[in-house]
Amino acid sequence: MNTTVVGSYPKIPDPPAPGRWRTSVEKLQRGEITREDLHRVEDEVTAEVLREQADAGVDLLTDGQIRWEDAFTYFARGLDGFTINGLQRYFDTNVYYRQPVATAEVAWRGPITVADYQFAATHSARPVKAVVTGPFTLAVLSKDEFYGTLDQFVMALAAALNKELRALAAAGATVIQVDEPGLLARRDQFPLFRRAAEALWDGVIATRAMYTYFGHLDGLYPAILDLPVSVIGVDFVAAPKNWDVLRRAKFTKVLGAGVLDARNTRLESADEVAAACRRAAEIVPAEMLQIGPSAGLEFLPRRVARRKLEALVSGVRAARGGAS
Amino acid sequence: MTAAATPTAVATLLPTTTVGSFPKPPSLLEARRKVARKQMDGAELQALERRATEEWIRRQEELDIDILVDGEMYRGDMVAFFADQMDGFEIAGLVRSYGNRYYPKPVVVRPVGRRGPLTVDWFRFAQGLTPRPVKGMLTGPYTIAEWSFNEYYPSRRELVMELARAIHDEAIDLERAGARYIQIDEPAIHTRPDEDFELAVEAMDVVTRGLNAYTVTHVCYGDVPKIYPAMLRLAVNQIDLALKNDEFALLETFRSPRFTKDIGLGVLDAHSHRAESPDEIVDGIRRTLDVIPAAQIYVSPDCGLKTRTIDETVAKLGAMVEGTRRVRRELGA
Repeated sequence: MNTTVVGSYPKIPDPPAPGRWRTSVEKLQRGEITREDLHRVEDEVTAEVLREQADAGVDLLTDGQIRWEDAFTYFARGLDGFTINGLQRYFDTNVYYRQPVATAEVAWRGPITVADYQFAATHSARPVKAVVTGPFTLAVLSKDEFYGTLDQFVMALAAALNKELRALAAAGATVIQVDEPGLLARRDQFPLFRRAAEALWDGVIATRAMYTYFGHLDGLYPAILDLPVSVIGVDFVAAPKNWDVLRRAKFTKVLGAGVLDARNTRLESADEVAAACRRAAEIVPAEMLQIGPSAGLEFLPRRVARRKLEALVSGVRAARGGAS
Repeated sequence: MTAAATPTAVATLLPTTTVGSFPKPPSLLEARRKVARKQMDGAELQALERRATEEWIRRQEELDIDILVDGEMYRGDMVAFFADQMDGFEIAGLVRSYGNRYYPKPVVVRPVGRRGPLTVDWFRFAQGLTPRPVKGMLTGPYTIAEWSFNEYYPSRRELVMELARAIHDEAIDLERAGARYIQIDEPAIHTRPDEDFELAVEAMDVVTRGLNAYTVTHVCYGDVPKIYPAMLRLAVNQIDLALKNDEFALLETFRSPRFTKDIGLGVLDAHSHRAESPDEIVDGIRRTLDVIPAAQIYVSPDCGLKTRTIDETVAKLGAMVEGTRRVRRELGA
């Protein structure tokens, strides 16, 4: 049983500490610094959040997605075929993203996240996983003005992002996570999702993880176990129902169990986390468990995110102790 | 509340109004920063807020807008403004909404409730400056709950309903202070449509119960078709919506079933720098007239305009009023 995170991490520290990233963006907008200067700050903040996760004791880290303005723009800008529209609300949050619009053939023109992964891997004391927004979620939250059917749009994105995953694997990423919360918003499209997953992961030599969050897997389970991945992330906080859903069939993958509420400041106690771990251990053997928050932690103030990770690690340690 | 009980305070066809916030003048922004750094006292800030409010009242009169707002010169975030003054809340910290924009996100740590009126003094001040009606502006219970962390109440329902009672009391106080129009902003209302839209409907019932004022709710972004036609059950006279940012695509949704409430028709994109032309406004209203009768239409921007500059805001509103006038003439009104 080990610990991990889902992805994003707060970009700025709590006041009165200076929010360097935020003030740098303002300076860039006023033309006082260059884009390269901002990238340097993003590097520093990335190193800082890697350290913070490691200090909290988390086993498998991410780069915190400090460079991502949001999970969609970052990829849409890196691919051919997209323009970027106005603000849309991101799922059930008071967080916004700019909606990508496919206006031409979508294609991979070069690595989008590879340099980020390499930077994180070389600046982290602990293993880092690469994270990519999945083709299905990207399609569902974008606007299609080119393909005409969701099927064609999703499959084109899967083919393009397959190249990104291959590039990450070639650059040394041993664990690659693809985020697909969009599946839960369009569960009727699972046959398409599955075909897209086959294309997406084709020839990708790495530990493959697929994360869902913000909802339940009712209607998708156990079919979801057929996906060509070895880790499936499940949100037990937004959807406590998942505890029951996963009992309906033997869970045959590594379970990325989201048990810590990434959407509320209320701090879980180590005991609560340990209890959730023991419950998860009834679904899969402990060695097939990766315990983490329910979603990216960016929606929380930094101090709270940090404390949540500490509670996570203490809880998992307590559960491990109890199990041995 | 039924449409029959609707008070008609503005006689003109296609009344013009705005959603609530206007940009703060640079001097006021600077003053707010100084107060935050404790380099200026609250009284000095309030004098600047009053001056800026008066300027916006005059601008709206000059633009010939029918139903005015105070412009919210004294508010920061639309949820934190209420949370700061109510019992039960603390500020958890800064949370990013987009780009480098962060908002102070409240957290509920104790039972929530109103200590006293929250918006009434500012309403009185603004209404005292003009013979035109000024809207009372409230943030709705569902949105306050949804955009706060909840560490106290066991369920969202309990928090939302407690807030609904508090916002109802505030609405009653606004009405007593002379507000003929009261807007309850609920931009988060369609956050979990399957799970608890009924809760949002119940909460609005509590907020507007017994009011004689004309009531409005503003909903923006998100998947509006998903809450249609259910949203027509919200206990308000008018639902104000952002039409322009999707070039009036929502009209297709409103063809069937029929839009039975008044609509606050958003005809200005609140997040673009460009001023729409009067022709675009005319076109938007004409397309709407094909779906919703003129008597049910109020013309407004898509959203609060606080992120625009003052010049952009005046240019956009000028086009809105001019475009609306042209349509009125076409309709012989």
